[in-house]
Amino acid sequence: RPEHRRETQRFWRENRVEAAERELCLVPAEEYERFSRALEQAVAAHRQREEERIGQVSAPRAAPGPAPGTASPPPSADRSPDPGRRAPAAGDGAGGAAGREPSWDAEQPGPSGMQAGPDLNWMEPGQALTFIGHQEAEGKGNVHTGAKPPWLTEEEAGSKQEIGPSYEEFLRQKEKQKLRKLPPERVGANFDHTSQTGESWLPSFGRVWNHGRRWQSR
Amino acid sequence: MSFLLPKLSSKREVDQAIKSVAEKVLVLRFGRDNDAVCLQLDDILAKTAHDLSKMAVIYLVDVDKVSVYTQYFDISYIPSTVFFFNGQHMKVDYGSPDHTKFVGSFKTKQDFIDLIEVIYRGAMRGKLIVRSPIDPNNIPKYDLLYQGI
Repeated sequence: RPEHRRETQRFWRENRVEAAERELCLVPAEEYERFSRALEQAVAAHRQREEERIGQVSAPRAAPGPAPGTASPPPSADRSPDPGRRAPAAGDGAGGAAGREPSWDAEQPGPSGMQAGPDLNWMEPGQALTFIGHQEAEGKGNVHTGAKPPWLTEEEAGSKQEIGPSYEEFLRQKEKQKLRKLPPERVGANFDHTSQTGESWLPSFGRVWNHGRRWQSR
Repeated sequence: MSFLLPKLSSKREVDQAIKSVAEKVLVLRFGRDNDAVCLQLDDILAKTAHDLSKMAVIYLVDVDKVSVYTQYFDISYIPSTVFFFNGQHMKVDYGSPDHTKFVGSFKTKQDFIDLIEVIYRGAMRGKLIVRSPIDPNNIPKYDLLYQGI
């Protein structure tokens, strides 16, 4: 406490704080005591609420948490927060954790050997996966027995239709590729070669007869 | 020699040729097959047609059969050669009064080849008029007829 006072005074001097401002910054001792008591109460109330919430979440679970051996001590006496390990009710303590452990070990090999069904809801509480029935395929075999895949068994039926573009389309595509290499500002780049023109169509003669747009005489 | 080159004998065929030739110079020779100068020109055209096949397509047009285009292009002397690229008419400055067509025959095959090459390069660059590389002495002289224009 005296060192603190010396330090505060040094701080005032070094930063040249005025007297009025110093009063504002100082917290009187009574205020500090009041604050620390209120803080303890608030922290205790918050931890109690957290424990209740976690107890509600973990109660419907069939098996206990990931690490079986840790018995979480009752949190009422200890103020420091426990690192995540919560017993469903504070009263169970060590007895409940020890009693649950052998039953969890007995269930460990269980789920993998049972059928798919309601036992899978340990991942999603309240929602089961839809069961579509056993796949019976003794005659044809399946991927586990090493049978031929369906896309390879249809060889004689699908070979008539060719996949992909025909030969003419391929040639046309090659022509289009060559067109793309030509300079884009060449004369008549946008000329539509396939347009149907009537009997009276005449090609553009570059404004020789004073007819046509002005750019045609460039 | 004119039997070596394809001929167009109606307006529809000429239209078809103009519209369908793509990315190559279209050469239309307007004249008559039995005219003396036309025969000289047709000889040069036929002999160079194969070498220029990647740059140019050559057709012969009889002026008596396609009168529409004879009037449209104002063909007064034969042979007259008109050049197109992608449906657009190409003008060439030969040093003669008329830039829209080449009147007469060429002196050598090389003159014609050079001219086609210059037209092709100009068209690729987007030019509608180019300057002829032919020596002006080799260009046939003629008088342009003005009829009340």
